[in-house]
Amino acid sequence: MHKIMITTVLSMSLAAGVAHAQQSSWTGGDDLPTNPLACDGTPAEVAAMPYDGGTPTDAPDRMGKTLTVVDIPKLVGIGYFSATSKGIADAAAEMGTMDVKTDGPTRANIDDQITLIDNYITSGVDGILYAANDPVAIAPVLKKALAAGINVVGYDANSEPDSRQWFVNQAQFNGIAKSVIDNLSDEIGEDGAFAIVTSTFTTPNQARWIAEMAAYQQKCHPDMEWLETVEAQEDNILSFNQANTLINKYGPDLKGIVGMTSVATPAAADAVTQAGLCGSVAVVGLATPNAMKPYVEADCVKSVVLWNPVDLGYAAAYVLRATADGTLKPGDTSVEAGKLGELSVINGSEVLLGAPFVYNKSNINNFDF
Amino acid sequence: MHIRKILRHETILAVLTVIVLIVLSFQSDRFFTVDNLLNQGRLMTEVGLIAIMMTFVIATGGIDLSVGSIVGLTAILMGVFWKNLGMPLPAAMILAIISGTLAGFGNGVIITRFSVPPLIATLATLALYRGIAEGISQARSVRGYPDWFYVLGQGEFAGVPTQLWILLVVAVVSALVLGVTRIGRTVYAIGFNEVAARFSGLPVDRTKLAIYTASGFAAALAGVIFVSRVSTTRSDMGTGLELDAITAVVLGGTSIYGGRGTIAGTFIALVLIQGLKNGLSWPALREKEPSC
Repeated sequence: MHKIMITTVLSMSLAAGVAHAQQSSWTGGDDLPTNPLACDGTPAEVAAMPYDGGTPTDAPDRMGKTLTVVDIPKLVGIGYFSATSKGIADAAAEMGTMDVKTDGPTRANIDDQITLIDNYITSGVDGILYAANDPVAIAPVLKKALAAGINVVGYDANSEPDSRQWFVNQAQFNGIAKSVIDNLSDEIGEDGAFAIVTSTFTTPNQARWIAEMAAYQQKCHPDMEWLETVEAQEDNILSFNQANTLINKYGPDLKGIVGMTSVATPAAADAVTQAGLCGSVAVVGLATPNAMKPYVEADCVKSVVLWNPVDLGYAAAYVLRATADGTLKPGDTSVEAGKLGELSVINGSEVLLGAPFVYNKSNINNFDF
Repeated sequence: MHIRKILRHETILAVLTVIVLIVLSFQSDRFFTVDNLLNQGRLMTEVGLIAIMMTFVIATGGIDLSVGSIVGLTAILMGVFWKNLGMPLPAAMILAIISGTLAGFGNGVIITRFSVPPLIATLATLALYRGIAEGISQARSVRGYPDWFYVLGQGEFAGVPTQLWILLVVAVVSALVLGVTRIGRTVYAIGFNEVAARFSGLPVDRTKLAIYTASGFAAALAGVIFVSRVSTTRSDMGTGLELDAITAVVLGGTSIYGGRGTIAGTFIALVLIQGLKNGLSWPALREKEPSC
């Protein structure tokens, strides 16, 4: 009896799910307002927002002086943060007035990270660069650093705004959305049909990206056909199966698959490779270069969208220098960041790295993470 | 007799600690600042509280491997009581400390009632308590505690970190209990020869039960201070803390077979370890400074 009931409930929910999926207007995005970028890439009008970052107490005049800086990423020993550290070191070498040491927990552990920061505060550093393991929990110790007169700048993973001065934001949702859809339309044409493999419909980042993608596609590539968005829970096998199901379900109508997670994109590429459809079904998505190298080299995937972590670290170092010098002040709308040029200030106290980076066959081997 | 007093383990350790601190202070002029020393005291408190009670445990010839897990369990319970069950935070803190103490009491019951060797018993509860903590938390963290709560782990009282006062009080009381009371002598007697202690009419089981309970209490207190210091609660907090504590105790001259050991020795060892941990990370930073 029990079993029958469970089966009934399951099949009913399955039926409901299928019925739900057939209302094709459902994209998997969230309901928040979207802000698609201009089709030709004109930078969006920056909405003025008052500075909401913190201020160090009685910071000494550091204009032009050599700064002792510690960089505390989420963890050390993985390619991604080795790349950001390299960017920071590159910038420091270029400036010649910054001594940087990278030190982080060996696991992405907020307790260890807080202890490390606490120790560096008393060691008398001039500046702290961090990528937070937990935006809320890290705030008190960063506020302590500010109270000790230390310049604090975040990158990659933010904390509460008033616990740091600036945060270097690697990519905005609408920027990622534009890059993904533009690359997709280049590969499958203005009237191609595509499907999306995401983590879950409620994952905040993915839902936001999808909502922005839907808005941008409506605006700039209105003839593309959005077939379906499926969930795969950042699970390797499930992602592969979902991509396979899409290929079988839509057959030759399916021209492209977009992976919204660093798990889904390589899994989709794998599914397309195994189905022997390289070249006829394009795979575009967010992923890290190492996972995508085999597919990019086999010409099965042409573009992988993400940001460049070396540039991210590089920008963070320049933002810290400008903050310490007083050349980047609350209310400023842009900051000079070496070879990256002028970076614009958004959301009150964030510095935008710029348009996302597209990894392709020509550059993917320069990255190792 | 005179020579022997000078060559006591604690004395040699204290001299060694002073030498190490002096050497480290030459490595960086920021090492021997009041700010840094107080901050190191702050970081030392959690392992310190546990190590002091561990001195009693090891002096009886036992060991308590479950303390790190009790830290995690206490932290999670406090977070869950406060956030998920909506209790006032002080009540949640007290209830969590009681739970941690009960966890220690559980160790004591298993060891005395069922005559399970402490190593085996607490190895099992190490896994058990951590498992409960992870089960309750479902790998989620609790954070966003009110500001007054951080006074315990990040604040100061009369210029000294709040938790350092707690550590000092616990250290002094424990040193007195172990050094000059009958309870202390019972502890040494059990460690020296448990059978003889039993036949001498000493309350062996009661003492051991009390000691493991106290060890659970110290771990629970350390857990609450830990949460206050790092302003977040996660189930993997305190992993490996038992080894740090045991290292300090054994380095401090407590015999791992029981029968001898002092709180003073443990405390000096704690200072030495914390000094080395902190001091050795300085030259690396200094190296990057310009030579001019």
